[in-house]
Amino acid sequence: MSEYIVKENALVDFFKSLASGRRLLTPQGLGDKCKLEETPPDKVNLDFSNTHMSPKSLLFPQTEALMAFHNDASKPQAFVYQSLGDKGEPLAVFGIRPCDAKGLSIANKVFQNDRFTDNYWKGKIDQAVLVGLACDNPSPQCFCAAMGGSPFGEAGLDVLAFRQGKDLGLKPLTPKGEELVKASGAQTANLADAIKGLEAEAVKSQGVPPDYKGIDNADLMALFNDPHWLATAENCLNCGVCTFFCPTCHCFDIQDETSEKGGVRMRNWDTCMSWLFTVHGTGHNPRPSKTERVRQRFMHKLKYIPLKQDGVRGCTGCGRCVAMCPVNIDIRSVALKMTQTAASQA
Amino acid sequence: MPALTDITNKIRESAKKLLASGQAEVVIGYRQGTIPMTTSPFFARTADECDLLVWSNFARINLANYLPGRAGKVAMVAKGCDARSAIGQVTENQILKDNLYIIGVPCTGMIDTNLVVAKEARPIREVVETADDSITVKGQGFSTDIKKDEVLRRNCKTCVNRTPKLANELVGQEVNGAAADDFADIKALLAKTPAERMGYFKDLIKDCLRCYACRNACPLCYCPVCFVDETRPQWLGKSTDPMDTMTFHLLRGLHCAGRCTSCGACETACPVNIKVREFNRVMELTVQNNWNYEPGLSWDQKPPLTMFQTDDAADFIK
Repeated sequence: MSEYIVKENALVDFFKSLASGRRLLTPQGLGDKCKLEETPPDKVNLDFSNTHMSPKSLLFPQTEALMAFHNDASKPQAFVYQSLGDKGEPLAVFGIRPCDAKGLSIANKVFQNDRFTDNYWKGKIDQAVLVGLACDNPSPQCFCAAMGGSPFGEAGLDVLAFRQGKDLGLKPLTPKGEELVKASGAQTANLADAIKGLEAEAVKSQGVPPDYKGIDNADLMALFNDPHWLATAENCLNCGVCTFFCPTCHCFDIQDETSEKGGVRMRNWDTCMSWLFTVHGTGHNPRPSKTERVRQRFMHKLKYIPLKQDGVRGCTGCGRCVAMCPVNIDIRSVALKMTQTAASQA
Repeated sequence: MPALTDITNKIRESAKKLLASGQAEVVIGYRQGTIPMTTSPFFARTADECDLLVWSNFARINLANYLPGRAGKVAMVAKGCDARSAIGQVTENQILKDNLYIIGVPCTGMIDTNLVVAKEARPIREVVETADDSITVKGQGFSTDIKKDEVLRRNCKTCVNRTPKLANELVGQEVNGAAADDFADIKALLAKTPAERMGYFKDLIKDCLRCYACRNACPLCYCPVCFVDETRPQWLGKSTDPMDTMTFHLLRGLHCAGRCTSCGACETACPVNIKVREFNRVMELTVQNNWNYEPGLSWDQKPPLTMFQTDDAADFIK
């Protein structure tokens, strides 16, 4: 696949093409109000940092009704749960940052793999075309390169777009992306070298990435049993901010809610920071204190997910948890402590 | 010497003395955060660790949150509001007075980072806090001075008790707070119709994620199991249903009635910038009006909602 370019004066037409037959979502609003919203093709904004929350709720909403029943015995199928089906619709999402797209690709392997397919996730992602926008000026909170990603990362995207002066460069990454770009009338261009140059510059702005490779090779139980977790967790409030803002956190809780007319089975975001997350029906709790809960979150991101997903870390370096944690628990500091544990075991 | 540096030095000095003398096994304070405009609650147990303690314009989380149920002797760094929370916890039997040592910091107010970002939208990579009445934020190709008065948290603007007068020691000169909090905003809100008030509060919490950062950052919310986490029976749904979300906020407000010291930790912790204190402020005013009570101002006052008085204004209780 070659690259393509959309000239500045053709941008609106390009976005019109994206919006043709689909809803076009792009980041709108500033700061904590920046979120993916339906956007008219002439109102796309390329000057944003990133959305306040990750885009995971597009595919995995915080609350999602999975199935429902009615209890009117005079009608068929009373008291029987009926699937509400997937809520998919044709979507073009423009402006996903590479860290967040990588996050979706990690969650994708949880919701679709050789053992399970989650139809609610699949129904949405199959009809979505994801166009990323590379970061030419990463934020101070960003550390994608340290986590094995890049401001020009391609994982999870159908097309990677990037600013090429006032024009927009496009690199299709999947057949779905190629089809979209060709249909848009964008002109082919050889931009491979340009991408390399821009990427090197963006990576450089993040400084020399810390080396966390020690964690990958370390013995799991040595990391698990290291005494640092007590101090690491000591100031944690056990709120759910880090998990709710994380682009890869995907844990959920299934709840039935009933009324006089029937009931709904819904899936809600859950958080491993909560005491309630692991408490058993007996009252026993295998993660009784915040030390175990904090350890779980970081071990999951930096050890368990890499073990299950061919070395890909469960943290993409988007920096949201670092910026949003009320007590500034910084996953980079935790990763360094884990690296030190690994070094002392070696 | 800048006031913040002076206070930092005094905190470190005091912390070392307390640990050395055995008056405290741990000193809970703040260390510098890993990104600009943050601090992180920090537990110092050695002299070396004491040297990591700092004072800052961003020491916004209330450290009394770490006290309930703690065994052994503990010292905490406290602003006026935080000290009042700790004293409240003593009156509520959450920690023994004899086990608690308060290193009181006369506080000139903490900074609301959202207000800073509103004044300087470019990515901030560094903040300089050497001046007493302003900060300097720096980023790629800019350096902007911002007056502290213009970016104070709203609870700090109306704070009456900036100096923790009941602290075991003060590290810094006493400062005067506002003469009084007139609650003008809350009185205006209460003058509206019930429907308007409900509309106001519905709009206030429309972005709530139910992450419970407000609850978990709150020194009053020390229940072993919060009512929202109860499962037998389950009082509240787990979804983002607006009624469930409202129930959480209303009940938390009521549970905190007469106990809130307006430390603002809830609003600092909220990741979607909800003015959580609006609920608490209504209850604060209600309790003041009914029982002329403000929490955390003496070691032996009794919280009004644990009290019975024969001259109570309410008829139903007599």
